[in-house]
Amino acid sequence: MQRKELIAKRRLVWQLISFALVFGLWELAGRWPISLAFPPFSKTFLALLRMTADGSLAKAYLSTAQPLVIGIVLCGIAGIGFGIGMGLSRTIEWFSLPVFIILQAAPMAAIIPLITYIYGIGLTSKVLAVVFLAAPVIVMNSYKGIRNTNPSLIQMCRSFLGTRRQEIIKIILPHAAALIFAGLRLGLAMGFIGIVIAELLITPTGIGDLITYHSSVADYPEMFAAIASIIAVAAFAIHGLQRLEHKLFPPEIRGSS
Amino acid sequence: MVQRLKSIASFLMVTALIGGLATETWAQAKTRIRYALGDVISIDELPLLIAVEHAKQRGVDVQVTSFKSEEVATQAVINGQADIGQGTPYAAIQKVTVPIRFFYQLSALQFFPIVAKDNYKSWKDLDGQEIAVHTRGSGTEAIMNLAAKEHGIKYKSVSYVPGSQVRALALLKGNIKATILDAPNKNLVMKEAPDKFIILPLGNVKASDEALFATRDFLDKNQVAIRIFVEELTKVSRAVNANPSWILEERRKLGLLKDLPPKMEQEILPFFQEAVKSGVFPNDGGGERAAKNDLEFYSLSGALKGENLKVDDFWYLAPLKAALANVK
Repeated sequence: MQRKELIAKRRLVWQLISFALVFGLWELAGRWPISLAFPPFSKTFLALLRMTADGSLAKAYLSTAQPLVIGIVLCGIAGIGFGIGMGLSRTIEWFSLPVFIILQAAPMAAIIPLITYIYGIGLTSKVLAVVFLAAPVIVMNSYKGIRNTNPSLIQMCRSFLGTRRQEIIKIILPHAAALIFAGLRLGLAMGFIGIVIAELLITPTGIGDLITYHSSVADYPEMFAAIASIIAVAAFAIHGLQRLEHKLFPPEIRGSS
Repeated sequence: MVQRLKSIASFLMVTALIGGLATETWAQAKTRIRYALGDVISIDELPLLIAVEHAKQRGVDVQVTSFKSEEVATQAVINGQADIGQGTPYAAIQKVTVPIRFFYQLSALQFFPIVAKDNYKSWKDLDGQEIAVHTRGSGTEAIMNLAAKEHGIKYKSVSYVPGSQVRALALLKGNIKATILDAPNKNLVMKEAPDKFIILPLGNVKASDEALFATRDFLDKNQVAIRIFVEELTKVSRAVNANPSWILEERRKLGLLKDLPPKMEQEILPFFQEAVKSGVFPNDGGGERAAKNDLEFYSLSGALKGENLKVDDFWYLAPLKAALANVK
């Protein structure tokens, strides 16, 4: 028990040292300065406090969260469903796989502005930007999860005269669950990228508006604070999902998937 | 004796003249100016492109690079990757520690508030309604806010839709009902659907749309080249103001924007005729008058903070004065 505590303490110390090192280097780079528009960490942190205190950061996140959550929920339901369908049916796979492979490889920053030609400049376009980035990862992970089910387990089910329904529900889905969940986590990471690109390229709202506005009026500490905050929020959200994943699925399932 | 003195005086004058010319030619031959443009090169950049070619003929090599936005162009100047920038980054000049100064007004703001006829007929109808402008703190927002103040109205909300072209398309598609556009996009909308939209009257806005800026250090070290470039810019402005079709002849003569599609070629003359009528191109490079108007306008827009702003903290007028002394 004592040994465990000691290891945990040591880990915390190293984590704190790594943070201090990164922020210290940032402070030095800002004071040197590497660019006159690059603020030191201390000024950026103060700007972050100011933006938190005046409510502009909370307001921005409320606006950014809307298309992000809608997009991820859509991908979570339809994307996982589609991926499972692709994994189970050769016909659905034949029709859909090339689309998702192309979407995965396509440079989204170039495609997102095109969405506005069809869907305008509102919420729909931003939700679509999130979906375009997140869906391929979620769908492909679900598809691979299903396809990579251990064949000996399926054979075992069949040898016990298990029906196709039992094969799917009792063998394939539980086996693929860890990879599907990992896809959701990676999809959320892509969703964050999608929403920030959309808010910078389509119309500046939420966090994209904070970045654009503070850049245009040369409030560089505020601009960097907005950028740093969205990176932190995305990192925490993804880390949270990772921890949940570790709790829900034992290492043998995660390892085998 | 008198004859001899006359000969010596003539000799000295000729030597001084040749020396002066040689010094200028030497300075010019050595000068390369990296010009950062925060926009795509299009027909509205023709006066600049013509001045660049004329300056080149006088030995000043101005290399124009097109950047994605004014902010990127400003960063290039701040970080020393470009010598001259084009735009109105008053906020950056106020906040950044490097002394950057404006020295020439290329053009004044020319925007048109435009609304869907079925929904609105006048400024009063916009009371409590939604409008769309370029970005937060932009000149377009300031113009719309000034108009609202003037007509005693208040908008319900302001949406930010960057790019006149995007707003024009959104207007034509019916996604937005009231916005503000630049001249080419206003013309496009009125051409595509002349019966659907009306332009609301606007008071005289005199602020800069595009001005040239550089570090004070660069302006001091390259006085001759800057003077020549500003002289050429002023000459082009005066020639366009005297006769807008001059720009067509000069474009043909210098072979500029050769790949322009025929549809856009036809827009050149109307664009410059309208701009000249609105007084967009100053004959005197703006100077102190433009600086004072800008300080007032960009304070109202929220880009500039503080009171009692001084012209000298934003503009360096010596290069313009030197150039104007040479342009008759």
